[in-house]
Amino acid sequence: MLIFAISDKGGTGRSVTSTNIGYRHALQGNDVCYLDFDFGSPTAGAIFSVSSVARGTRNGGLHEYLRGGCAEPHRVDVWTESDREGLRTKPPGAGRLVLLPGSEGGGELSAVDDEMVRRCVQLFGRLEEEFDLCMVDVSAGRSFTAEMVLQASVRLPSIPFRWLVFHRWTRQHIIAADGLVTGADGLLDAGARFGHDPEELRDRIRFVRTAVLEPDAAELVGLRDEQRAWLSACDAELRELAGRHGVGRTAMLGKVPLDPVLQWREQLISDEDVLASKIANAETAAAFDELAKKIVDDSAWEGL
Amino acid sequence: MLVMGEVHTALLQNSGEIQEPVCRQVLGLMAGETVRVSRRPIAHALSPDLLTGVDCRLPSASQARVRAVGTVVSRCAITGGRVAQGSSYVRVERAAVDRRLSWSHYLSRPGVAEVLGKAKAGDLAAGFLDGAPPDCLDLGAISGRFLDLAQSSPLLDRRAPFRIPRTRLRWVTEVGEPSIRFTLHSDQVRTVRIAHPEPFTPALAALCEDLALHDWLLTTLLVLVERAGIGSAPGAQAAAKLAPAVDHLLHLWMPGAHVGESLAPYWESLDRRPGFTRQWRTLEDRVRDQVALNTLTLLSITAQTGRRCQ
Repeated sequence: MLIFAISDKGGTGRSVTSTNIGYRHALQGNDVCYLDFDFGSPTAGAIFSVSSVARGTRNGGLHEYLRGGCAEPHRVDVWTESDREGLRTKPPGAGRLVLLPGSEGGGELSAVDDEMVRRCVQLFGRLEEEFDLCMVDVSAGRSFTAEMVLQASVRLPSIPFRWLVFHRWTRQHIIAADGLVTGADGLLDAGARFGHDPEELRDRIRFVRTAVLEPDAAELVGLRDEQRAWLSACDAELRELAGRHGVGRTAMLGKVPLDPVLQWREQLISDEDVLASKIANAETAAAFDELAKKIVDDSAWEGL
Repeated sequence: MLVMGEVHTALLQNSGEIQEPVCRQVLGLMAGETVRVSRRPIAHALSPDLLTGVDCRLPSASQARVRAVGTVVSRCAITGGRVAQGSSYVRVERAAVDRRLSWSHYLSRPGVAEVLGKAKAGDLAAGFLDGAPPDCLDLGAISGRFLDLAQSSPLLDRRAPFRIPRTRLRWVTEVGEPSIRFTLHSDQVRTVRIAHPEPFTPALAALCEDLALHDWLLTTLLVLVERAGIGSAPGAQAAAKLAPAVDHLLHLWMPGAHVGESLAPYWESLDRRPGFTRQWRTLEDRVRDQVALNTLTLLSITAQTGRRCQ
């Protein structure tokens, strides 16, 4: 299964959420591979706490691989190479967790040629042989990278794929997330151009809300009544807006609550962070865990 | 001087094993020539040999700049309709003249790469077994590409029963007193060094392909047994996770099935130490015992339920 993670805008928490989903999916016993296709800013290494590839790798990054500079992209086994002690031992029952970092200083793709798509197809095909899940972080907004993976997935009809569109719970983000999917040159539009059936593609897209502050959250206890009433009204308005833009509950796969740890440092949230050091909220870990199950749960992906 | 090769082995990307006619089509996609098939003692289909022209540096342990020109032989194999292999090898020889000749010269010697200038066989062997640097001849990339061709055939449904990484086996043969050394490197990389008194024949490449196949089977069965979590997971769950091993792997162990009589002693020596077959049999028994135990548990549950209903 290929999961493409995209967001309408930068700063939505796409990378940190998708890495955490991948991490949780591996903890659930699946072999997971994370591909950093965010070529402009390949920082997945930092989130996995692998300092040697914190800003991408100098040799054999994905960018270099797609350009034909190496036969196989560099792989990082997170369970052995992470600098975080808590991540450096593979927990019993967990699957493999492998990162394919981007190239340091690679830059966004400025065009996609057929050879690049062929190499992308070859990579996805090979990874599918050995991993239960390949999470592909496809940067923000409309990009050549998104076009490349749309073309590659058309050429791999028997490999299942799904798209996660990450957005924050604000007016602008809701409108932009809808635009990224249904707007001119959006995913459906571009997908149809490359040979996807728009109806089928639509069914393979779900939204994930990030940094959500629920009106009844514990953090809001100290607020004045007026503030709470205002937040509630805003939330209702956003729900109505989301419904109108096709970003509402039915098209949503899950939401991740606002967590100070993720705001201040993009990192994996381990059970230790929740239970021992208590720096992260249990709800956040639970949300990632739930999403990690839902991405492969067919009932969450039935036709809309 | 020496012969070097690399074999990539993988689970064929299909839900079940494929039959002989499909094997022929999957392997026949690559050229107009016929696919060689043998049925006994195990189904084995081999694609025609294909050549890749090369003119590049050879890997060298001392980082010496050694240039070679010639062709690499590659082929694909499917064993038991279940395991696919991409295999490439090249015979490295000294060129008669130290300059590049026309391609017709190299094409008349298929599978030979001629070294222009000086090179030491030991240095090249060590460099190759260490893994090719990016700008050198990469037999693994060629083997991987051929394996991709088979794996991406539209005749395969890509719903493999389990996920498992490919293994890579790099091998080198030289002329010398008979000996064989098999080394495990990382999770997926293995190396084999063979010294053989006779001049090289393709049968030696077939021996290495057979070793790669059995090493993959052993590696894969070990992974499946580990994933089953015997002892820590409930019996029924462990047995369910071992089911793919019973369905798809246990009947494939047939060391030396396609290895000539004269090369059989190499297999026998590896079977003495490290003892491939010994380890395989132990794992096989473990899988079968788990399945049997689970059957007994199920039978006793059924019997108890039956008594309660009476």
